[in-house]
Amino acid sequence: MQVKQATLAEAASLVADGDVVALQNMATQAAPMAMVRELIRQERRDLGLVCLVGGIALDWLAAAGCMNRFIGNAVSMEQFGLAQRYRRAVEAGRIGMEELSETALLARLGAGARNLPFLPTRGMIGTDLIDINENLEMLDDPFGGPPVVACRALVPDVALVHSHRADRYGNVQYEPTALWPDIGMMPKAARRVVVTTEEIVDSDVLRANPDRTVLPGFMVDAVVEVPWGAHPTSFNPLYGYDAAFHLSWVAAARSDEATGEFLDSYVHGPADHQAYLGAVGGSERMAELARWETG
Amino acid sequence: MADAAHVDSPPAEDWTVDELMIAVLASCFSDGDQACNGMASFLPVAAFGLAKLTHAPDLVWLAGAVGLEPRPGPIPASTLEAPLWRDALMYVEQYGDFWTLALNGRWLRKFCVGAAQLDRFGNANNSVIGRDYHAPKVRLPGTAGLADMGSLDKQLYYWNANHNSRSLVAEVDFVSCAGYLGGGDERARLGLSGGPELVVTNLCVLDFEPQSKHMRLHSVHPGVTVEQVLEATGFEPLLPAGGVPTTPEPTAEQVRLIREVIDPHGMRHREFRRR
Repeated sequence: MQVKQATLAEAASLVADGDVVALQNMATQAAPMAMVRELIRQERRDLGLVCLVGGIALDWLAAAGCMNRFIGNAVSMEQFGLAQRYRRAVEAGRIGMEELSETALLARLGAGARNLPFLPTRGMIGTDLIDINENLEMLDDPFGGPPVVACRALVPDVALVHSHRADRYGNVQYEPTALWPDIGMMPKAARRVVVTTEEIVDSDVLRANPDRTVLPGFMVDAVVEVPWGAHPTSFNPLYGYDAAFHLSWVAAARSDEATGEFLDSYVHGPADHQAYLGAVGGSERMAELARWETG
Repeated sequence: MADAAHVDSPPAEDWTVDELMIAVLASCFSDGDQACNGMASFLPVAAFGLAKLTHAPDLVWLAGAVGLEPRPGPIPASTLEAPLWRDALMYVEQYGDFWTLALNGRWLRKFCVGAAQLDRFGNANNSVIGRDYHAPKVRLPGTAGLADMGSLDKQLYYWNANHNSRSLVAEVDFVSCAGYLGGGDERARLGLSGGPELVVTNLCVLDFEPQSKHMRLHSVHPGVTVEQVLEATGFEPLLPAGGVPTTPEPTAEQVRLIREVIDPHGMRHREFRRR
């Protein structure tokens, strides 16, 4: 097996300006935030982001001017409200939004993964989402049933996911937890796959629980060890979302000046991931989050 | 386990409107139903809990659409984070498994919908405010699962904790969840069955007149007048023949369960803040 272990900077170089980037994220859950910060530091531009529900990652990418389009179900930080920098960028026309129902995003990625031109869904019929989207078309059932919605294949240039553990060959494991489709579908549809992981372990550790392996190493282009790599989002069962940190971002996002200062403090400033963890409260704060003391 | 105390419980003396709304939503769910919830859905989650503790012990809950029958604990600060589905019987993989169950038609036949705008034919909008999708006045979070649930033959139960003329409008700016579309048989002509059943707000309960599919006042909450409802609504709902009934008050036992067991931290009150 080929060794896929890389540094954050090396792995981020697999993302090019203009790429369509599938990003694991479910509101306040499970985003590969260390990789997002690296992309901002490397000043990627014109990215198209694909998410189920984009959260603070999208707000940062929008604030830093890294993205110009979104494909997905929604953008929201749930209890922390709308992603305000993202929202304003859409309202100002700087970011275009291809809004899809959940089954439509599944169909687009599923068709991409299986090398099909499209997959159909029965969702969205009657809504305004179909007419405004050139990747959705009503289609007669060739077998005589009611029409369906054809959802054109989506092949992201790269998928970015975070995981509980992996070996240095890029075989990736997930602990038992709610499984969102990001990990199951996005890497299969994408041309390249970049994985950050809480821990790089010996392959023998994976062999003890092969049922927990969710991605085979041959699909993976780079794997990076980044403990607490999803902070400030949650990564169950290891740690909860950082509510206090989300709230400080929400406050900063109200003005351009405070937004810039926030990104300087937590994205551009820290020399590496260890320094970032120090800036957000260090091992004491991480221990609280491990107990799901989020406030 | 359901207890029997709710059966003969008298109306509560000190109920508040959040508790009344939860009791109304709970009454929509029965034994044999499966219910699920999405983000920021405190009133539906409380309603499922109340139904399970009273009249519908065999209601099945898919917490966050991923955790099967978690052990009920106090409602946490998020309805889409792991504390909600602690001790679940199963993690239902969300796209592959959950959406297969939802699309199949046999299961998850009822769905609670919260949205920024709802119109007189029960169409909902969680996408954009303003008539130009590509240059919106306000970019809302996005439709997520609503655009699926509205077209999948489900019975839809809307909840709105902030009934006003901006959230209940004559026509939504953008249909991101299909209700009865232009009314009458338009939904049926597209081959869609199901559709909106009830709208539960902080002022009243509305349903849909069977022929026109136009929203109709079903009952006003105790202390609320029909005039107040009309003033707070961006269109004129139909009025039932023979006067508008009053929504039943929650019982003392329902209120006790909500306050002491289901939501002792009062997360349900977060829904009543202006967004």
